[in-house]
Amino acid sequence: MRTDRLIELLAHDAGPAPRALAARRLSAVALVGLPVSTVLALAAIGAIPAPMFATHVPWMKLAYGAALACAAAWLTARLSRPAAPAGSAWRATATVVAAMAAVGAASFASEPPGARVAALLGHSWLGCPASVLALSLPGLAVALWAVRGLAPTRPALAGFAAGLFAGAVGACGYALACVETSPAFVAAWYTLGMLATGALGAALGPRVLRW
Amino acid sequence: MTTDAGPGDLESSLKPLWSRAQAGDEVAYRTCLSLLAARLRAYLGRRLSSHPDEVEDLVQETLLALHLQRGTHDPSLTVSAWVVAIARHKLVDHWRRTGRRGGRHESLDDVDEGLLAVDDEDRGASRDLEKLLRVLPDAQRRAIVLTKLDGLSVAEAASRTGASESAIKVQVHRGLRRLAALVRGEHAS
Repeated sequence: MRTDRLIELLAHDAGPAPRALAARRLSAVALVGLPVSTVLALAAIGAIPAPMFATHVPWMKLAYGAALACAAAWLTARLSRPAAPAGSAWRATATVVAAMAAVGAASFASEPPGARVAALLGHSWLGCPASVLALSLPGLAVALWAVRGLAPTRPALAGFAAGLFAGAVGACGYALACVETSPAFVAAWYTLGMLATGALGAALGPRVLRW
Repeated sequence: MTTDAGPGDLESSLKPLWSRAQAGDEVAYRTCLSLLAARLRAYLGRRLSSHPDEVEDLVQETLLALHLQRGTHDPSLTVSAWVVAIARHKLVDHWRRTGRRGGRHESLDDVDEGLLAVDDEDRGASRDLEKLLRVLPDAQRRAIVLTKLDGLSVAEAASRTGASESAIKVQVHRGLRRLAALVRGEHAS
């Protein structure tokens, strides 16, 4: 086929370009990932006691997860567009993590010295990152599907951003089943679980995000 | 091959045309693709100078990618930067698939990064997309042949096949995506 014939083929009745393509595809991550991770967390671990919703505990975790999900979704969208600068989105993502780290550090410092390590480790520090990662896997599959339909030119970075986004969504589900109360715990172990999901996305990116 | 207007001039002539194309103006879209094909031919030709027979294939592959990914162009981006990023991606992918690195004559130099030159001479692709079309699933192939090669409108193709207009559009898009995947898979097999 000659190139002018291909151009004819592509242009004929092509219609307008799809609008808000990245937003539509990436919103599926939250629409699928949030209910799935919530149901899995409640089924596998069980819901936190209802009175806890009157405290700041679940809301702090949900706010962190939601804020990081927004920042990481933005970052994913930027990295899925050829030639789009992603600096602001990286800074927003780092700011959310740094803000939680600051709150966690302040809470850590305000504990009496003897109780600090106990507050940081809680009773589930080992299981928390693994649970967040596991609950994020359905969202990660959707996120990689979403990015695959866009045009990431740096697949490892795009995979990382997609994983971080899925991890933040999964962490929101886990928050409904996690009874840990310390901000230091959230800043350390939730973050680790979300970063692990990001790392998995980065590892899968170069294989999965080819186009 | 001639070197004419700089990238700024290209962008100023391309941008308004591209905006109209993105909004659904078919004539503007065709003009954009023709304009870009000549630029891509020169851009890719410089980087594939030791394999001139592959240039037109890669021009076609890049045009197909531009079409499939046109929803990822954000009006805040310059059109030429977006096009170069896609062409570069396709070139690197091509090198990886063919087991070649950018050698002395094929370098991704950062100096000459733009779509500066024009090359209007289509020397012919070695791969025939029409042959690859035959490998597509029936519904996708029929949708593409009716709307793209026979020149029917989407509405006419819909009434002829009994499928809805949106189903025809979906089949065309899926078929073109499949075609792009086939083009990529060719080298591997």
